[in-house]
Amino acid sequence: MSDLLLGARMAFAGGRDGWFRAVLTALGVGIGVALLLLAAAVPGALQARQARGDAHAAFGQAIPASTDTLLVAHARTEFREQPVRGSLLQAEGPQAPTPPGVTALPRAGEVVVSPALKELLDSPDGHLFAPRLGGATIIATIGEEGLNGPRELAFYLGSDALSDEWAVRIDAFGGGSSNGPGIGGPLIVLVVIIFVVLLLPIVVFLGTAVRFGGERRDRRLAALRLVGADARMIRRIAVGEAVAGALLGVAVGAVLFAIGRQVAPLVTLWDISVSASDIRPSLPLVLAIVVAMPALAVVVGLITLRGVVVEPLGVSRRTTVRRRLWWRLVVPGIGLALLYPLIDGIRTAGTTINEYQIAAGAVLLLIGAVTLLPWLIDLVVRPIRGGPVPWQLAVRRLQLDSATSARMINGIAVAVAGTIGLQMLFAVVQEESTMATGQDPSRAQAQVSIYGLADPGETLARLRASPGVNGGSGTLFTSASVASTSADDSASVASLIIGDCTALAEFATIGPCGDGDVFVAQAPEQPSLDDFVPGAHVAVGDGEMPWTLPIDTRQVPTRKNPNGWHQGGILVTTGAIDLAGAGPLHVSLYVTFNPEASDPLEHLRNVAASITPLSQVYPLQSTIQLRKFVNIQRGLYIGAVVTLLLISMSLFVGVLEQLRERRRLLAMLVAVGTPRSTLTWSVLWQAVLPVLLGLALAVLFGLGLGAVLLRMLGETVTISWPVVGLSTGLAAAVVLLLAVLTLPALRRLMRPDNLRTE
Amino acid sequence: MTGESLLAAEDLQKTFGKTTALNGASLSVEAGEIVAIMGPSGSGKSTLLHCLAGIVLPDAGHVRYQSRELTTLPDVERSALRRSQFGFVFQFGQLVPELTCLENVALPLRLERVKRREAEHRAAEWLDRLEVGDVAGKRPGEISGGQGQRVAVARALVAGPRVVFADEPTGALDSLNGERVMRLLTEAARQARAAVVLVTHEPRVAAYSDREVVVRDGRTRNLERAA
Repeated sequence: MSDLLLGARMAFAGGRDGWFRAVLTALGVGIGVALLLLAAAVPGALQARQARGDAHAAFGQAIPASTDTLLVAHARTEFREQPVRGSLLQAEGPQAPTPPGVTALPRAGEVVVSPALKELLDSPDGHLFAPRLGGATIIATIGEEGLNGPRELAFYLGSDALSDEWAVRIDAFGGGSSNGPGIGGPLIVLVVIIFVVLLLPIVVFLGTAVRFGGERRDRRLAALRLVGADARMIRRIAVGEAVAGALLGVAVGAVLFAIGRQVAPLVTLWDISVSASDIRPSLPLVLAIVVAMPALAVVVGLITLRGVVVEPLGVSRRTTVRRRLWWRLVVPGIGLALLYPLIDGIRTAGTTINEYQIAAGAVLLLIGAVTLLPWLIDLVVRPIRGGPVPWQLAVRRLQLDSATSARMINGIAVAVAGTIGLQMLFAVVQEESTMATGQDPSRAQAQVSIYGLADPGETLARLRASPGVNGGSGTLFTSASVASTSADDSASVASLIIGDCTALAEFATIGPCGDGDVFVAQAPEQPSLDDFVPGAHVAVGDGEMPWTLPIDTRQVPTRKNPNGWHQGGILVTTGAIDLAGAGPLHVSLYVTFNPEASDPLEHLRNVAASITPLSQVYPLQSTIQLRKFVNIQRGLYIGAVVTLLLISMSLFVGVLEQLRERRRLLAMLVAVGTPRSTLTWSVLWQAVLPVLLGLALAVLFGLGLGAVLLRMLGETVTISWPVVGLSTGLAAAVVLLLAVLTLPALRRLMRPDNLRTE
Repeated sequence: MTGESLLAAEDLQKTFGKTTALNGASLSVEAGEIVAIMGPSGSGKSTLLHCLAGIVLPDAGHVRYQSRELTTLPDVERSALRRSQFGFVFQFGQLVPELTCLENVALPLRLERVKRREAEHRAAEWLDRLEVGDVAGKRPGEISGGQGQRVAVARALVAGPRVVFADEPTGALDSLNGERVMRLLTEAARQARAAVVLVTHEPRVAAYSDREVVVRDGRTRNLERAA
């Protein structure tokens, strides 16, 4: 025990150098621990978010109006592509339920908004959203428990105009699942691999961080051997030192995690913002991380001790032994064995995806790049002889100790291999997530849809007058039914679309058209309109208004509407029908925007909402990407940057430490007349050679992982060489940049002053 | 100090922070002469050697090698001079651990752009002369301290220097090995007609020199030897 404590004291002893080393280790371990804790909190945070979503969901129930019921109508909208969850509420009695996070129901003319929406309304852009609340007074903000996340835009608008025709009746919120469509198999695989690719380099980095200052430690241990410590005591002291550094790192990690927890609510990712209180990693995971860190430090420390002989007069490295290949292949082999049974298995509908099997397989496969790298460096550099002096110095150094160099670039190799595999998967998922909508934005950029209006003419006029709208073709929709001539005696029903000739031409190739004309447009693969013959008596709308198809009604072929599909039905010019008595009508307007206008879509939404909060405005786009995919991609980029920074820091510290250990030798070589450029080039070669080999291995393993993952999804394996080039090029550039950044330190260490010993 | 001296230092001043290392030190070395610089720890003898070799620039004073002022030469030229004209033996940590002994000795020749085969051939000859030919293929970590210092001496002499600077070359060796290294160093230097500037605090080592200079508090004083 006293040996362990002595080791713990030594972790922080040694003046400025000692503290520098301890702080470096603690920071390295701390950053890794904090990231692992944050990652461990993700499932819990998502679950909590899901639970909140379920709690405020309003599912219509078949219940009569009473004193404890509430009418709820969804008024979802968007603001600059951000979803806004809106609901209209109308209490039917004093005991009507309140949504979670809301203390009192808003009455007509009142609104309760989320803090983020309040912030938006108070901002200079607030005027672009405020009209959607119809001038209602904000009486309160929604509490945290009623929101999916702290940055969610949401509102509950009081109403006195709801009826159960357009709203649902509830006596309690929650009681069901608000789940949208779940993420499909490829996306699950993608998310699992993203976690692996981002977290594995961090674990590899932790392995490096716990041995910062290793050579200095070995010399301290030699000094202890001189005063009588035996080899076992030395090991115990080393364990104590490693545990102390790791525990300090865990403490730093806890502090960084606490900071990260406070910062996380400020970030919106995947349309999801998470409350600080939701970021709670499960206890078993926390314990696993807290226990695993010191354990990792001890194991790594003892393994490094095996490579050196600590004697009273100094430390010597064991002669390099021939590195064995077989066990280095076993690790990726097990990874492949885990992934192989999943090949072609995930695409099948209804298959349960074993995320853990995929994660474990991918981790082991990628670790293969780490285990094989020292062997590969040995294999390549061992036979190298000759060459210029800088090259010779670098090669000889690698021949003597390839493990140190390999260790430094392990993180980069794993990250590049993972990125390549991930990108191959990404390409496929992207293809599947980007859907051609068939919509034609050259004909219209948005569609407004409003149901149940009494005065459609004025509605169309107001929408056309919205700021930024420079054109629009409006139609009114209702239904028409006619007694069927078929044997089953049922009625034939068709859409009745009323508009001017230009508006009707969006649905069919109508040819010459004048006011008073009527057309029957039969869409392919839609119920036959054969019963709607000239002279047929039809009933129009909910009011079943009698109307007769004119004798000169023409059959015309449909064309794709701006939404990209064939809308068949009876196309009627406004002069051909009097709609009084037809009942509620549905207004649809395709609009085009002035390209110079600012935020025309938001203005249009405001005008539509002022007509009725239940209006819907859809932007028309030729392609859409699944929002989840876009969010996953964004998450990956952020994660990749964090990982790359972490790896770069580890690499930078590693190179600096190596140089510091060699400062006397460097100074001596300069003293005997060795040009500084010779030494600089030798340091660069020493960095570049392992990086090249590491990247070659990373490409191999990355392609392997990508191929297995694609086969798993039943996709053809295709390689995007630009992506491979970009990933490896970026990593190489980072390494070279770091090597260049170490040059000032190298120049300082080459000063002959370092020869002084007194 | 005469105009014909191979190497001469005059009135050298050097401080490190608040510590004065040299305070008016002067010294001259003739071609082929072996000069021992003696003095207690911290007296400034290693700093004097570093100034003489152009490794460290003095704050004031002059260092002339073959009438060339070293203190005004740019770093690149001083490095080239050390490479081609000087040889060095330090107390420890001077051999490149990843190179074999043969490659270590060949290093100064390689830096002078001598072809590898030729450089290693000449290095092997020097290793034989210093009686360490059997360790040519070994790395410094695999040989004894005495063998390492003899390899270092071979490296200091392989490029045919005019001056060999030796800073406590036997400091880390036992007396037997120390004697052996000094005998081989001085014999080889005399055969090669190279001057030796030897820093030591051991009279036994200084006894191999032709002349002794004592450094105390940063000043030099010639020591008269008893007949």
